[in-house]
Amino acid sequence: MNIAVCICQVPDSASAVAVIDGALDMTRVTWVMNPYDEFALEEALLLRKQFPGSTVSALAASPESGKDLLQKALAMGADRAFEVRSSPLQDPFQTAWVLAEAVRNLYGKALPDLVLCGRESLDYQNASVPAMLAVMLDLAFIGPVSALGADGERLELERETEGGTELLVARPPLVISAEKGLNTPRKTGIRQVMEARKKPLEILQASEPPPPLVCLEGVEPVSKKRRCRYAATPEELAAMLDSDGHIRQISGEG
Amino acid sequence: MAHYLVFLEPRNGLVAGVSADVWHRVQEQLSSGDRITGFVAGAISPGALDVLQGSGTVYHALSGSPAVSPGTVLCRMLSEFVRKEGCTAVVMAATTAGKMLAPALAAALPASLLAGCTSGSLPEKVCRRYIHSGSVLAAYRPEAAIRIFLQGREHRSSPFRSMERPRYVVFQESLGPLQDAEPLIRTISASGSPEDISEAGIIVAGGRGMGDASRFSMLEELANLLGACVGASRSAVDEGWRPHSEQIGQTGKSVAPELYIACGISGAVQHLAGLASARTIVAINSDPYAPVFDVADYGIVGDVREVLPRLTDAIRDVLRKK
Repeated sequence: MNIAVCICQVPDSASAVAVIDGALDMTRVTWVMNPYDEFALEEALLLRKQFPGSTVSALAASPESGKDLLQKALAMGADRAFEVRSSPLQDPFQTAWVLAEAVRNLYGKALPDLVLCGRESLDYQNASVPAMLAVMLDLAFIGPVSALGADGERLELERETEGGTELLVARPPLVISAEKGLNTPRKTGIRQVMEARKKPLEILQASEPPPPLVCLEGVEPVSKKRRCRYAATPEELAAMLDSDGHIRQISGEG
Repeated sequence: MAHYLVFLEPRNGLVAGVSADVWHRVQEQLSSGDRITGFVAGAISPGALDVLQGSGTVYHALSGSPAVSPGTVLCRMLSEFVRKEGCTAVVMAATTAGKMLAPALAAALPASLLAGCTSGSLPEKVCRRYIHSGSVLAAYRPEAAIRIFLQGREHRSSPFRSMERPRYVVFQESLGPLQDAEPLIRTISASGSPEDISEAGIIVAGGRGMGDASRFSMLEELANLLGACVGASRSAVDEGWRPHSEQIGQTGKSVAPELYIACGISGAVQHLAGLASARTIVAINSDPYAPVFDVADYGIVGDVREVLPRLTDAIRDVLRKK
């Protein structure tokens, strides 16, 4: 089974992201692999173990993605790691476009059996790249997946929806996005990290993508601070909530 | 002049409540000359569309079951429809299905996807939304001629009412030969809670301060009283006290309730990221310096295990007198 995993980097804590002169300042940020992408990569590695002979290739297309991200993927166990190098990507459409181009380039017409992505990246939370990538590769898309089972021909996948848990049956090729709970991503030790440093990082130069569909026009910092009114007792709290109109009979709610 | 296409999601044979809300919000915002069209795919009960008020036409694609993968059949059907009808905007609710369909449709058309905009009005030139866990507000400009709006739950002051009813038309297009490649939905097991937390009007959420899983029954009692949903912080979910479907925050769900009661939740930035759209926040925590009090409108310092039963009793008294 040939598996491509799309990974990206995100700030490890949003509190380090600053806005200076109307622009994002990321100089204090420490970057980590997007947690949802860890679930995707871990699932690929588990499938490789189940189906010997499989290959797992990690692809990173984001302006910040560098050595660290790819080495982390190799340390976790990816067979190959590719940096998809491009001009700065402005929206998920451009990101999906360069990833689709890279996947086609690497796998040719056959396409990989599975393309795994994280549900969303934690920085912008668009959750758009997996579905867009599927359209561009002309593959079916299932996500966000919280359980996956494979028997060689078919996949059984679960996802949580408003109506309950859906069980889906599908055949590769397929694009899948990983939800938290799909697995427990492995930790990487010193030995794996050192070994990963010896593996080559491969670079794929992307073509110029089509123009973005949305553009970031400006940013401003947000203060979430509110003035908290303290109650001394639970009874006082109930009275405060009631006098401000927050307690209503259930039947009165639409 | 705008032509809005509203994607109506079927749920249990009816039009999902959030989809009907989206339909009525678009109705409210129609200017003269604007058009509105609804599209529903899959099996719905007779009379399911009666909840929809206002003008326009609703197309019903009988063959497109909700079981189809949005990336393929439904997406193709809608993108062809949008092109043929000359729709300028597609509006849908930010449900699990909507969140998958919207980006696929954006790539297929192509169209500018505007999700989670803080302003509910559609014709605005710029979509303002939170990024980086709610610490930054960003303004996004759509570049494509067609826009797709993915709309979260919104606080409604008054329901939309109209004497008009939309026209019902059966959508006749054939689905084409794609179905072999389609992932199939085998079973759907009903979820434990009747309402999804991301659509809840009131949420009572518990964190590490609850101490163990059994004490969430206190939250359930208060939630039953208020008609609320129970939510959880990441630590409570990681402890195995609650399912991931109830997790609120960065790696869980974003919520937009009118009232949010945080019980034994310290208020880590990752949790607060899911609360950016909550209207009123109540914090109960034993640590007076817990960051949750910085974002709360009402607070009480104390052990949730003592505060909650008394608060529930006091609210029960208040309700009894109404």
